[in-house]
Amino acid sequence: MSAAVFAAAPVIPSFGRGSSCVTDNKLFCWSWVREHWGDTLSKALVQHIELTLIAVVIGFAISFALALAAYRWSRLAPPIGWVAAILYTIPSLALFQLLAAVSWLGLSRTSAEIALVSYTLFVLFGNILAGLREVPADVRDAAEGMGLTEWQSLWRVELPMALPTIFAGLRIATVTVVSLATVAVFIDNEGLGAPIFDALQTTFKTELIAAGALAVLLALVADGLLVIAQRLLTPWARSARS
Amino acid sequence: MKQSTLRIGLVIVAALALAIGIAACGSSNSGSDTTSASTAGTSTTGSTTASTGASTGASTTAAPSGKPGAGRPAVTLGDKNFTEQYILGQLYRQALDARGFTVRLKENIGSTEIADRALRSGQIDLYPEYIGIFNTTVAGDTKVYPTVDEAYQAGRAYAERHGFTLLPLTPFTDTDALAVLPAYARANNLTQVGDLARIRGLKLGAPPEFRQRATGLPGLRRLYGITDVQFFPLTIGLQYQALDSKRIDTADVFTTDGQLQGGRYTVLRDPRNVFGFQNLTPVVSTRVLSAEGPAFEQTLNAVSAKLTTEAMQRMNAAVSIDKQSPADVARTYLQANGLL
Amino acid sequence: MSDSGNALQFIGDHTGLLWHLTVKHLELTGAAMGIGLLIALPIGIWLGHLHRGSFLAISISNVGRALPSLALISFGVAVLGIGFLNAMVALVILAVPPMLTNAYVAIEGVDRDAVEAAKGMGMTGFEVLTRVELPLALPLIFAGIRIAVIFVISTATITSVAGGTSLGDVIVDQATYRLSGVVGASICVAALALLAQLLFTGLQRAITPRGLRVQSKRPVRLDTASVAPASTTTN
Repeated sequence: MSAAVFAAAPVIPSFGRGSSCVTDNKLFCWSWVREHWGDTLSKALVQHIELTLIAVVIGFAISFALALAAYRWSRLAPPIGWVAAILYTIPSLALFQLLAAVSWLGLSRTSAEIALVSYTLFVLFGNILAGLREVPADVRDAAEGMGLTEWQSLWRVELPMALPTIFAGLRIATVTVVSLATVAVFIDNEGLGAPIFDALQTTFKTELIAAGALAVLLALVADGLLVIAQRLLTPWARSARS
Repeated sequence: MKQSTLRIGLVIVAALALAIGIAACGSSNSGSDTTSASTAGTSTTGSTTASTGASTGASTTAAPSGKPGAGRPAVTLGDKNFTEQYILGQLYRQALDARGFTVRLKENIGSTEIADRALRSGQIDLYPEYIGIFNTTVAGDTKVYPTVDEAYQAGRAYAERHGFTLLPLTPFTDTDALAVLPAYARANNLTQVGDLARIRGLKLGAPPEFRQRATGLPGLRRLYGITDVQFFPLTIGLQYQALDSKRIDTADVFTTDGQLQGGRYTVLRDPRNVFGFQNLTPVVSTRVLSAEGPAFEQTLNAVSAKLTTEAMQRMNAAVSIDKQSPADVARTYLQANGLL
Repeated sequence: MSDSGNALQFIGDHTGLLWHLTVKHLELTGAAMGIGLLIALPIGIWLGHLHRGSFLAISISNVGRALPSLALISFGVAVLGIGFLNAMVALVILAVPPMLTNAYVAIEGVDRDAVEAAKGMGMTGFEVLTRVELPLALPLIFAGIRIAVIFVISTATITSVAGGTSLGDVIVDQATYRLSGVVGASICVAALALLAQLLFTGLQRAITPRGLRVQSKRPVRLDTASVAPASTTTN
């Protein structure tokens, strides 16, 4: 019995030559971007948007709940802040690998998302809480004087006043996640990290620049959208901006 | 006063959080130990399938026709972290797809060590592996085999005991090799790996795992007496650039690398065979193999049979030099060989 | 395989290796922070003092934070080659934006009345800068430095993917060092980040004029244009 399988010699077709721009690895080859937008770049971009959205939404929900708790019971604030800060200092490359080694998570998007979420907590929790605490005491007193319950005061007075600071945190967290999500490629081969890693291995400048630029653009667009959302949500603040 | 007690409290909380984190990692790992033990338990059923698998592979290489995979459970195919593996992942995936099997492809999952863990824990059901790396790194068997058949039989025996099946080998072999710049080879009179033992403080660039693999530094020490090495861990692919810029003297390369075409590098001979036989075998979970039926295996074998060294080199070059996508290259190849 | 829980044991067993890599890590991050400071602070402080270039200062921060570190390091490989230089340049590019923007916002935002009063007392522009604006701006400037230093120390690990030498060498080589190594090296990185925080907090204390020390404990306010991600509350 033979170890290898043998068959008629294969047909080796032409796979098509890369343009000289590509084979010489010039700084940027538009032709490659046009050809591979569909099969490589746009796919990665969509995945990257998904990765980011999921992480920011979940991260915000968790941070919001924790910040409300810490606002209500101020003794909770330091420990939560510390845990978030510790998570923030774990190198991303390591956190991704550690989560991927947890058997029920594995090399999956879930592992990637958990790491990304944990990096948002530091900024989001800190800013939501800071925003709430910045509400002047006399404003709170006035709300109480108008007969609002604690809960009503929170939702109708304090949170709206905290919005600018909350949004500042949201913007930072979103942009950070867009950047960090590229590192997730080491456990979850999707998003813009995939073409970036691929280009690193072949030191292919065009793909690096294209994928890197898409990540920067995505971050800037997300940032811009958050600015617009903030303006829509805080019409009263428009004239008061410094 | 209150401030300082609070601080101490914080430090304790922080330490606890860290401890819990570490403990969680520890327990998760003992979890995966149990997984591998339980898969080992199923090896009795595995061995029968494995032997039939090998014989069908040897006797027939014709791809099945139609859609025999329709209705079979979905499988997850993994590939490792370099160009050739991305192509292999696409080749096997597309061929299986064409026969109606449902395949999820997890690309670029990492080195063999990580792929093996993923296979044992059931995150993937199969991945392409090189027989010598399988023996040394997965099975921990550092014996130097005189023939590829013996290496394969040893690997298969280990696989059967652990609930995997090694499908028949490809004709192509892709071994590690040490490459130098031609000028450097001439200047130092280098023709084979053993000649490197003369060089003081040899700067050697390779993937990180080369440091501890039997087909890496330990093997070079044992078989060639190369001890005076300064090791540069590099992401696979970067070793060529490091060689070009003379940051390293010699690089660990793969013999099917597209970059080796054109004579820009001198590959040193390996007379003691430290890098072993590295024909490729799909490593498949035996349980999954039987659940998918014979056509699954036949499809994989039909692809393997067409993978000659020249074909692999050309496909690698198409991706790493001409920057075609692995998926396109694989499709073109399968179509040309009637496998789609 | 049951090795990930033994991170502390790994640290104990590999003190030589970890110490060597820690020194390399510090060389890399120290050089990047040093050059980054020399670039960011003068520009940020000067622009803030002149109340000019707000668009530049804010955009640099926004674009800078959006730069994916992996892409930057990979691009450096293609342009500068493999090794220390590429790794350091990438880290400088990542370190400058938060420091520059914070310095700008800090100086620019100093109470105008205080500045006018100082001018009224006959101070020159330079005296106003060094005696009024800088002392008042220190907390926010240091907040920017602390953000940058955490970021640089943590991101330096990624340079190991591209031939840099750092504690990341262990983190990218799970095959050799196992999970215990990944955890062990991460603990070293986190400890370095913490030490750097303490160092800069101490430095800030030391150079803050006594009269302003209480103020420096206040959380940094983040307005819409701002920029300072971390507030001092977490330290």
